[in-house]
Amino acid sequence: MNTIVCIKQVPAKDAPLAIAGNWINESDIGFEMNEPDSYALEEALQLKEKHGGKVVALSLGPERVKQTIHEALAKGADRGIHIADDHFAQLDPLGAAKVLAAVIAKEKYDLVLTGLQSDDCGFGQTGVLLAGLLNLPHATIIMQIDVQDGEMKLKRELEAGWFQWIECPLPAVLSIQSGINKVRYATMKGIIAAKKKQILTVAKESLGVTVEPTQKIEKIYVPTKTKKTEFLTGTPKEMAAKLVQKLKVERRVI
Amino acid sequence: MKILVIAEQRQGKWNNTSFETLVAAQQIAAATSGTVSAAVVGKSVAALAEELATKDVADVLLVEHELLESYTPDGYCTALKQVVEAAKPDLVLFPHTYQVRDFAPALAAMLGKGMVGDCVGFRNEGGKLVFVRQMFQGKTVADVTFTGAAPWFASFQSGAFRADLLTAHRSGKAPVNAAKVELKAADIRTKPLEMFKEAKSAVDLTQAPVIVAIGRGIKARENIVQAEALAKALGGEIAATRPICDEGWLPLDRQIGSSGQTVAPKLYLALGISGAIQHVVGMKGSRTIVAVNKDQHAPIFEIADYGIVADIFEVMPALTAELQKTKG
Amino acid sequence: MAIQREQLEADVLIVGAGPAGLGCALHLANLITKHNASGAKPELSPENIYVLEKGREMGAHQLSGAILDPRGLRELVPDFEKTAPLDTPVTNDGVYFLSESRAWKLPITPPPLANHGNYIVSLNKIVKWLGGLVEKEGVNLFTQFAGKELIYEGHGVAGVLTEDKGVDKNGKPKENFTPGYELRAKVTVLSEGTHGSLTKEMVNRLKLDGLNPQVYGIGVKELWEAQPGRIETGFVAHTMGWPLGSDMYGGGWVYGMRDNRVSLGSVVALEYANPEFDPHEAFQKFKTHPFVRRILEGGKLVRYGAKTLPYGGWYSMPRSYVDGALIIGDSASLLNAQRLKGIHTAIKSGMLAAETILEALKAGDTSAKTLKLYQRKDRSELHQGRIVEGAKFPPGVSRRAVERDGARGIAVHHRRARVGGPDAFGGGIQRLREAAWQWDAGGSEHAVQGRWEVDVRPSDRRVSFRHPPRGGPAEPSESA
Repeated sequence: MNTIVCIKQVPAKDAPLAIAGNWINESDIGFEMNEPDSYALEEALQLKEKHGGKVVALSLGPERVKQTIHEALAKGADRGIHIADDHFAQLDPLGAAKVLAAVIAKEKYDLVLTGLQSDDCGFGQTGVLLAGLLNLPHATIIMQIDVQDGEMKLKRELEAGWFQWIECPLPAVLSIQSGINKVRYATMKGIIAAKKKQILTVAKESLGVTVEPTQKIEKIYVPTKTKKTEFLTGTPKEMAAKLVQKLKVERRVI
Repeated sequence: MKILVIAEQRQGKWNNTSFETLVAAQQIAAATSGTVSAAVVGKSVAALAEELATKDVADVLLVEHELLESYTPDGYCTALKQVVEAAKPDLVLFPHTYQVRDFAPALAAMLGKGMVGDCVGFRNEGGKLVFVRQMFQGKTVADVTFTGAAPWFASFQSGAFRADLLTAHRSGKAPVNAAKVELKAADIRTKPLEMFKEAKSAVDLTQAPVIVAIGRGIKARENIVQAEALAKALGGEIAATRPICDEGWLPLDRQIGSSGQTVAPKLYLALGISGAIQHVVGMKGSRTIVAVNKDQHAPIFEIADYGIVADIFEVMPALTAELQKTKG
Repeated sequence: MAIQREQLEADVLIVGAGPAGLGCALHLANLITKHNASGAKPELSPENIYVLEKGREMGAHQLSGAILDPRGLRELVPDFEKTAPLDTPVTNDGVYFLSESRAWKLPITPPPLANHGNYIVSLNKIVKWLGGLVEKEGVNLFTQFAGKELIYEGHGVAGVLTEDKGVDKNGKPKENFTPGYELRAKVTVLSEGTHGSLTKEMVNRLKLDGLNPQVYGIGVKELWEAQPGRIETGFVAHTMGWPLGSDMYGGGWVYGMRDNRVSLGSVVALEYANPEFDPHEAFQKFKTHPFVRRILEGGKLVRYGAKTLPYGGWYSMPRSYVDGALIIGDSASLLNAQRLKGIHTAIKSGMLAAETILEALKAGDTSAKTLKLYQRKDRSELHQGRIVEGAKFPPGVSRRAVERDGARGIAVHHRRARVGGPDAFGGGIQRLREAAWQWDAGGSEHAVQGRWEVDVRPSDRRVSFRHPPRGGPAEPSESA
């Protein structure tokens, strides 16, 4: 069961956001593995433990993403591929997927896993687009993967507490739901072993992928508060009466 | 501008956010002097198509096929690609549901286009449509525009528009046209099996008109009954922030927030909730938000329409009593 | 808890990847490379050096003004001026005395605070950069690994237990429970910085206390982006006076960095008498002083943080060596409080520790006997570099803190304080301690130890050190 996991490196969740035009100022902030992707990686590692095979960690971006690939290797991935692109932030979802697909197409694999979405942009399209570009079946929001005889039975999360089982052949692309498993910690032995694992660097330009942007982020900004909050006063009993009145008459919601 | 809305149904029942998307379409049409068409996909869904036809749309497309009875990404993509190629809309809109996330980007890519998903609004800037979507987990928003020619694909977040603003058809009914699509069994690579609920009493909070949500301020499991009583008096459902569900005081399907459900009821009552981003992204689309918190600086007040700075243990019973008074 | 812990073995284990720990790792790696190249035996490897860092990434827990005296770094990385992320050289410095509304520049900048030749830096960036150099040498750097306990064996230390990961709020294992490791090493270097938990425990347990208990100050810092032209790049101001009271030890700083960035903050020793005094509030007040406000007006706060500083200086230095372990950097109280500089002493102590460790590894002997060479080198280095001049001058605070110690109050009366060598040092403290307990119990004791005479007089609550009369007693044996 050979798996390729697409992992994105994103600004650390607690990093102060300094907006600069249509992206953020990247100097002086920390970066980390996109949390949804860490669940995908964990799922890949668990599949490897159950069914054997190798796990490849793939990431697109500038030099600093190697750190995230290292983390994946330290947790147990067998090798890494870094697609070097300093302008990754400017790629739209289709563009990024095309670049990733170009590299994946050269590999031998049974499964491609991604997290559900990235914590920075949150497009949530990479897995689905990859499947289209690689002409593979796919499913998203996966909560469980059971493999038997070259076929998968997948548990997919639906809204409102519903789930569904799906049969899906291999090879395929899956987008993994966060919380599917408990992400493991990198062990010291894993960190030491990771130093000897290979990370292949591929320059984006060398892939010969032409990327025509389909959309453009014009600018990023902090949403202004348009709401005016009306604070009620008085005793709790008085405020309750006022509120019920307002909800009935002003808002007509009760 | 010709707009096509793909409404969502499952086993003959609407996903109500489809109506919010229709409202969005109507608003965009008004801003661009355009028209709105609606489509429904499935098998034996003619009745649903008729229902759409009573809304203020130019026409309804009935996309039926044996192989579309259950949703599959391959089925929907193959069918809708043909629909879009035939109908030639400028803008294709979806509600941003779990199902849409599963196929819509691929559908757009099949036509060589991109999709701007999970939008919270739009603006018409001199004829150019600007879509607004959140980034960095709701800490910021971004203005996104399409580059290149139509068709363009976009989806709207639940609660971004109000379904009750959907206007009815002015002269009675729009025409319903069957859209012919060709599908072979071999096109569909995944096989959907049974659907099931894990939780014994799983509730769909997205369909609740009133939600009473509790946060850490509830302090103990025993106190939740007070909030439940209030919810009952309001005819609503109880919900909670993540820490409450993590503790096991309420089941996971009651959780609202970035890792739970996103809701936009007409009334959301936030009791003892501080207003951290992870929770707020799941409910800020609610039409009316009332927040009760001891701390006047709690961030929840930033998004509340009405604020009460008081002890929830005094306000909850007072509200319940007041509501029962007006009812009785 | 009978958890099976995985055992790992290293030659050297360094706890804490700050300037001291990384200085030690880098220098040791360089020395090992030279050692191997010379064909000397036994062959060693930088890969057998493990560095533990509890922060999420290199530099995550580093917070400082900071002004770097380049002495230590120059020795460690000779071309540092070209390769290190130095922000700007100091171009202009002064010490100012503040009243509520005015600022007077002292006509002569007191030598301890003269900063020409120094650099303003972000310690976070320096440590990140040093971490990169260390990793290049093949040293194993583990971030997000904290040392939980030392492994004590015999008279010393055999290694470190790392913390268990994946435990819930109540300490119960979660699904991703990963037990900590039993990391054994021939030498464990404690470079935990201020308030080092393992260091404190070891000093306590193995009775390594310095002459005085350690005392701490707290520093509050903010990084601002000012309007252009408000402050000159490389401008360094240290302030005394307002808003601190005259009986408080501490002051403020304002440093002009590149790109209109301003580092500013205030430090105050944590022994102020007024219980309503709040160091953070004092710092906020400090910013309203016209001298500071002028610089910040119209600017933007970028980041803030706070950290303690070990203010005890020379007299709070613990004995820094035992069988199998060394203490370096702020954990060994090497901050020169007067000069507000500790990065260079940290780096230098790391390098000296590295030299000592190499000798110990070569000789196959990592006992205290071999390792004490480090302390000898370090203290002599501090003397020679005149680093100790400022550190020796007792900050008024430490004396007062000690004076106020209640029943166990010991007023240490320094008279021509000279250090009599590491053995006497350690032994002397031991006896002092015993004397103090005796005194507490109502007795008094007159102990003679090495070149020191300890005299405890409960009547006027004094304990004094004196040089014994000529022909004094023989050298004592080393206490445990």
